[in-house]
Amino acid sequence: MKMEEVSMSSLDNSKLEGLAQDILSDLVEDACLGLCFEVHRAVKQGYFFLDDTDQESMRDFEIVDQPGLDVFGQVYNQWKNKECVCPNCNRSIAASRFAPHLEKCLGMGRNSSRIANRRIVTGNNTNNKSESDQEDNDDVNDNDWSYGAEKKAKKRKPDKVLLISSTTITILWSITLFLF
Amino acid sequence: MSKDSQMRAAINQKLIETGERERLKELLRAKLVECGWKDQLKAHCKDVIKEKGLEHVTVEDLVTEVTPKGRALVPDSVKKELLHRIRAFLAQHATL
Repeated sequence: MKMEEVSMSSLDNSKLEGLAQDILSDLVEDACLGLCFEVHRAVKQGYFFLDDTDQESMRDFEIVDQPGLDVFGQVYNQWKNKECVCPNCNRSIAASRFAPHLEKCLGMGRNSSRIANRRIVTGNNTNNKSESDQEDNDDVNDNDWSYGAEKKAKKRKPDKVLLISSTTITILWSITLFLF
Repeated sequence: MSKDSQMRAAINQKLIETGERERLKELLRAKLVECGWKDQLKAHCKDVIKEKGLEHVTVEDLVTEVTPKGRALVPDSVKKELLHRIRAFLAQHATL
């Protein structure tokens, strides 16, 4: 052990450097061999050329790199300038604003029913009478999540409770009468 | 000279014992994939295979064709980093 110590401490930097280079070269060779084995196995097992396709399909599906087109070659801002006519109010609306406009115009979206609820709660009946009429009609048609359905549900509950309690009272009263 | 080879053997043994050789190997592999060396070499392999014929290619063929090119294609930055780590290891363990 001691002899080795002495020999190692008296090494030049050049020897150490040479050693480092040799170690690196061994490691690189390992990496190359590893790749060769991997490729050879892929060739013999038949999956080496699996991700290649023939030249013609490669050309068909090549990435498109032109201005105004996306990578598939489709025009992506085609609907920016188009305008649609609203069937409800007969106004000409831009295509990207069409869906939100329709939501408010027909009174059917999430936001429009919230706004309607708020208006009814704050008692703005005289100002927006015509609008609330329209919304009531729509709410009758919307079965699932409209304010009208909620009202019905709310009213039913107190009725039930009333019914049950009145029945209980009647029963108790008749029992009392029977006993005495 | 035999002292030299003795010393080299001792260093190599230390490299393997501490697991540093494995770590260096993994580091080198990762760096080579990152810098595109593996893909370059794979493309070269494709050419060799197309030349020799898919059925008849052997490991020796691939090794003799690919290894020299592989050595030459390793980028300098990768070499520098690996050498840095190896030198650090030697500095640490060459006094033992």
